[in-house]
Amino acid sequence: MARALKEKTIELQKKDTYIKAMLDPLWVVDNDNNLLDVNPAFTRLFGYSRDEVTGSSIYDFFDEKNAAIMHASLHEKSEEGMSSIYEISILAKDGSLIPVLISGGPIYINDRIYGKISVLKDFREQSELRTALRQSRDYLATIMDSIQDELLVIDRDYKVVKANKAATLNLRSPIIGVPCHEVSHGLYHPCWIEGQECPAKAVFRTGRSHRTTHRHLDLSGDLKYHEVVASPIRNSSGDVINVVELLRDVTERAKNEEEISRKNRELVALNSISGIFSRSLSPDEIFTEVLDKMIEMMNMDGGGIFFINETGKEMLCRYHRGISDEYVKKLGRIRVGEDIPGKVAVSGQIVTSSNILKDSRSEKSQIRYSGMKGYCCIPIKGKAKILGVFCLFNFKPHFFTTEEENILKSIGDMTGIALENIKLYEEMRALYEYQRKRREEEHAQLLSLSTTLGSAVELKSITGHILVLLKDFFRADFAWLLVSDDDRNFILKSATAINSTGTEIIYRQGTSSIEGYSIEKRMPTVIQDIQSADKFYIHPEISALSFCTAASVPMYIGDKSVGAYALYYHDCKDFKEEEIHFLQIIANFLAVAIERSDFYLSVIRARGLSDAILQSVTDSILTVDNNRRVISVNRAFERNSGIPSQEAVGLTVRDVFNGGDENTDFIMMLEACLEKALAGKSANAEGVMIMAYGNTIPLLISSDPVLDAEGEVIGAVNLLRDISREKEIDGMKTCLIRSVSHEFRTPLSAIVGMTEMMLDGDIEEKKARKYLGIILNEGIRLSNMVSDLLSIAKIESGKESLKLISIDMEALLIRVIENFSSLIEKKGASVKYTVKETGDFVGDEGKLKQLLVNFIDNSLAFSDAGCSIEITVSRKEDELEIIIADNGWGIPEEDLPHLPARFFRGLHGEKVKGTGLGLSICSEIIKMHDGRMDIKSELGKGTEVVLYMPYRRQSE
Amino acid sequence: MSKVIVIDDEPFILMMIEDKLKRSKIDVITLRDSNNAVEVIRKELPDLIILDWMMPEINGLEICKLMKNDPDLNNIPIFMLTAKGQDSDEKLGFQCGVDRYITKPFSPKSLLAMVLETLGKDKS
Repeated sequence: MARALKEKTIELQKKDTYIKAMLDPLWVVDNDNNLLDVNPAFTRLFGYSRDEVTGSSIYDFFDEKNAAIMHASLHEKSEEGMSSIYEISILAKDGSLIPVLISGGPIYINDRIYGKISVLKDFREQSELRTALRQSRDYLATIMDSIQDELLVIDRDYKVVKANKAATLNLRSPIIGVPCHEVSHGLYHPCWIEGQECPAKAVFRTGRSHRTTHRHLDLSGDLKYHEVVASPIRNSSGDVINVVELLRDVTERAKNEEEISRKNRELVALNSISGIFSRSLSPDEIFTEVLDKMIEMMNMDGGGIFFINETGKEMLCRYHRGISDEYVKKLGRIRVGEDIPGKVAVSGQIVTSSNILKDSRSEKSQIRYSGMKGYCCIPIKGKAKILGVFCLFNFKPHFFTTEEENILKSIGDMTGIALENIKLYEEMRALYEYQRKRREEEHAQLLSLSTTLGSAVELKSITGHILVLLKDFFRADFAWLLVSDDDRNFILKSATAINSTGTEIIYRQGTSSIEGYSIEKRMPTVIQDIQSADKFYIHPEISALSFCTAASVPMYIGDKSVGAYALYYHDCKDFKEEEIHFLQIIANFLAVAIERSDFYLSVIRARGLSDAILQSVTDSILTVDNNRRVISVNRAFERNSGIPSQEAVGLTVRDVFNGGDENTDFIMMLEACLEKALAGKSANAEGVMIMAYGNTIPLLISSDPVLDAEGEVIGAVNLLRDISREKEIDGMKTCLIRSVSHEFRTPLSAIVGMTEMMLDGDIEEKKARKYLGIILNEGIRLSNMVSDLLSIAKIESGKESLKLISIDMEALLIRVIENFSSLIEKKGASVKYTVKETGDFVGDEGKLKQLLVNFIDNSLAFSDAGCSIEITVSRKEDELEIIIADNGWGIPEEDLPHLPARFFRGLHGEKVKGTGLGLSICSEIIKMHDGRMDIKSELGKGTEVVLYMPYRRQSE
Repeated sequence: MSKVIVIDDEPFILMMIEDKLKRSKIDVITLRDSNNAVEVIRKELPDLIILDWMMPEINGLEICKLMKNDPDLNNIPIFMLTAKGQDSDEKLGFQCGVDRYITKPFSPKSLLAMVLETLGKDKS
């Protein structure tokens, strides 16, 4: 065997040249793993000489670790005799480990394995490279993992190809190979919230780095904010193949920031809302501002306010923002209890929805079709009931926090209470205004009373003062002053001690009194002992005081007696000559004063009277002096012109009207009349005065001169009469002529035109009969119109009287309805009637028929085809009640008061032919029956006429 | 043959005009309901329209305005035959583009003469 080996070796040695030339080391081992031979490359690489190693075990060239590898490798492969290739490190002579790649194969001799030959390829370089690679990988991983932020590398399918530790920890696992939106948001498509594109998508799209704060919901549905820096990774041709995303969780910061800015907004909004409540009392202002502020505060796209109407069944959108009028017109009316706002109005609970489209509560809601997503509805609560709701919306989803809900709720409550407060305040203000007005009126009355009395009171105090002076001066115990009135009774003017109203009659005419006596004698009279002077009657009050001496002094102006004053003494008193003289002087002085004051009072009274007349006249009166300046205006002038008296007095007419650009014509007219009056002639003119707010009043100006006693013109009186009513009547007359002439024209067309055609021979005999029939019918129509006109004229003139008989109302009604049968058929109308035990109603049958005909005709005429009319006749206590209700076009509210006016044609007057006389005839007929009429109507819904007429006996 | 459309809610007026014009070999279409008047006019494209003013649905003046705003219809002559006899009414009629304003009652003979003149069939 050794020889055989030797031979083999020799054979190998033959290839020495090749082997020696080999760059890679080579060893040959036997089955016991002892080295048989090595080549020079072995010596070069490992430092061992051939002789040194031959015969040694291969394990001598391995350290423990590599020996194990070798052992395992040999153990695995040797039995099969297969070639193997593996990495291993060999201990070189200098003690270093040199990595090699061993690739060996068995050596067969006669089908037996004798050993193995292996090439040991120097693997130092590769090993180094590999280590470097591994190290750099480890390094990258370490770097990536050491980054606290999440780091993802995403491919074009949005699948994560790499993620760092932070990402692996925070996101759903497995992470690699799963789309990024799935791992981060649990979504099955790239995320798109509030217009924020997925950052990776943005990078793929633009090829540029992208930095953004990404707002999204995390896996558990919490709102998260990530600051994302996404950068492209390009391949050698420059295409973006991956995106690396660095995600930093800034949720806390962003939430804080948002919180701060929201708090700020809330504060600003709440502040201004409470400001609005306290500042303004106009509901319009409050609601529009509150709505605006809420929208601003919540960052919403718009909103609206619905109020529950009086019936409590419907809500109307009164204010809105961010939605079109069209939308509001269509959906601004919601039944209470229906749709979300209607339900909130019932429950009083706030409803919020981050996305109404995905909300089961909105299944049947109109809101779904509006494009709104974020939505909330807040009740406006008053103290006892819900007044309406606020709605806010966003076209994007919007998350409402509990805190926000609470704020919205409290704004709803605040608004409700504010609204009720406004109502309360307005009521209080109205009450206050009313009371203030009353107080002012009372005050004005008091003031005028005191001024009227002013002069008289003053005079009384003067005479009283003089009497006291006299009493003291002459040391009397009592003094009084009596004046004689027109009937020569003595009236107490003033007294020093006794209580008196001042107008009390002390001595009637013809009573014998000392005062009367002194007047008769026209000289001061002194009676020493008045109690025993039988010829004088003494007023009981004086008598009771048991005076002794009395002195009466008459007061005269020329020959006219004014009265007398008297002094009374408890003791006896003598008057000296000069004292008597002094009393007389005072008497003269008092006489003049009293006369003057009387005159003054009568002037005041006369003036008050004329003033009262002036003031009570309803026409405006303006008096001017010779210098064309206003002396006075009456209350009617103040009321009608709005110019207070104190402003007008003293100004020229032109200035009174404040230059009045728009009233130039009127002022010129007034001035022209005034000039005529000041020239001593009366003048009249008609003009139109334009009032504040553009109202015009037609006025009749009539000016007259004011003459003094000598017949000189000292001024002019201008009377301005409001002739609106006259003008209105005039207008009605014109209207009558117009409508009558117009209504007459159509039937006349038949009569004139058809007759002409027949005379011209245009019409064959057969058709001529038809023509004549029409002419007859139209003639009757004309005649009916004339009767209408006449009957109203007759009723008006009072010449028409009722022909009273007992009426079977049902029979009458049937007859009337029969009259309309062809019209009812033509219109496809339904006319129903009910007559309930009306008993014997006494009235004018002809007139009642006319009444019913008119109303039914109106109902039919002012309704669409297929209308229905219901007539109910019944007895209500002492009255007959007739209700005629239709579902026709209805009458606008503003037309209702004018209905009984003659020739009045309402909103639908153009569509229906008529004279405008029907209802005024009806109104007169009802009046003749002492009844009344009540018309209720709503546009588009119909009209209900209720007539009441009292039951009467036939003899009445 | 010339074609004339007459619109009036009063049937006897329609009858009179139809009888009168037909004798002069004019094709007459009568309409009592003004609701679809414009559609009929658009379909028939008549040589002349005789219109009443006051009608329950669309009134004559409105029809007149609609026609004047329609390039296909605005050159068809319009006679307003109406009971509205005020000067102001007539003025308003002309403002809306009416070619002739005839107040009721009217003479069928003169109406025919005016129609013939407008249609260019004036015998003189």
